[in-house]
Amino acid sequence: MRRLLPAFDGLEVVFVSVHSAYAEQVSGNRFYAVRDVTRWDRIGLAILVAQLTLILLRERPRVVVTTGSAPGMISLALAKCLLRSKTMWIDSIANCEQVSLSGMRAKRFCDVWLTQWPHLQRTDGPECWGAVL
Amino acid sequence: MIFVTVGSMMAFDRLIISMDKWARAHADTDVLAQIGEGTYRPNHMRWTRMLAPSKFQEVVHDAALMVAHAGMGSYFVAAEMHKPIVMLPRLAANREHTTDHQLHTIKWLRDRPGVYAAMRDAELDSAIDKAMAGGRIAGPDFMNFAPEPFLRRVRHFLVT
Repeated sequence: MRRLLPAFDGLEVVFVSVHSAYAEQVSGNRFYAVRDVTRWDRIGLAILVAQLTLILLRERPRVVVTTGSAPGMISLALAKCLLRSKTMWIDSIANCEQVSLSGMRAKRFCDVWLTQWPHLQRTDGPECWGAVL
Repeated sequence: MIFVTVGSMMAFDRLIISMDKWARAHADTDVLAQIGEGTYRPNHMRWTRMLAPSKFQEVVHDAALMVAHAGMGSYFVAAEMHKPIVMLPRLAANREHTTDHQLHTIKWLRDRPGVYAAMRDAELDSAIDKAMAGGRIAGPDFMNFAPEPFLRRVRHFLVT
């Protein structure tokens, strides 16, 4: 996400990460840390959903952008369902042979659904606008 | 100094155990490992669970070589700091990650300058030797931000 920062220039941006230590890399912006989960962790998942819901209701973002994994996918789903925010999924550049599982699940909550790999582009999505590298 | 990292999320004891053995055999080399949530505690190298991002960058800056899981974040830091990096992919079969995407990542990254792939832990030794002898760095022409056309399209989406 830090590689996309110039695109956010001058906008009011709130960051959410699973690592509180990343706050120092976006100092000057509001920052929230949430629980990190994988799909193996049911209790963690419930806590994460509660945390994200509170953040979304407080901040009411017009747009939500994520580069992925399970917490990102859940954020997009909640933002779309609760707030009708505009949503963008940018599948990690690490997924060069197939879109991630979280990415596949995020599809129905996205206004823009992106892969970073041209060969993974399909007419019914995902699109490829380029890569962060 | 060699900096070993499993990234910031899940344990990756296979890498840490292998590198602890390596450190025992190379007692003259200073090795520091970020072991995350791993249960194995190294005996032959310095270790920490998690470094703050700024401290992490400082350590990479001071390191001659990074040895890491095949995560994009690790590659980005190595490239940003122009360091050689040895990468060992996590495997889903060992429950080291939820999927085998690190195998895909390494297949794509391994041909880049400064990236030395160890597909199995048994290959770590030779990958480290190659990296030390090779003198190539990751990301010789690395830019800190995504390419301009991509940024422009994301910007357009954000503001309209």
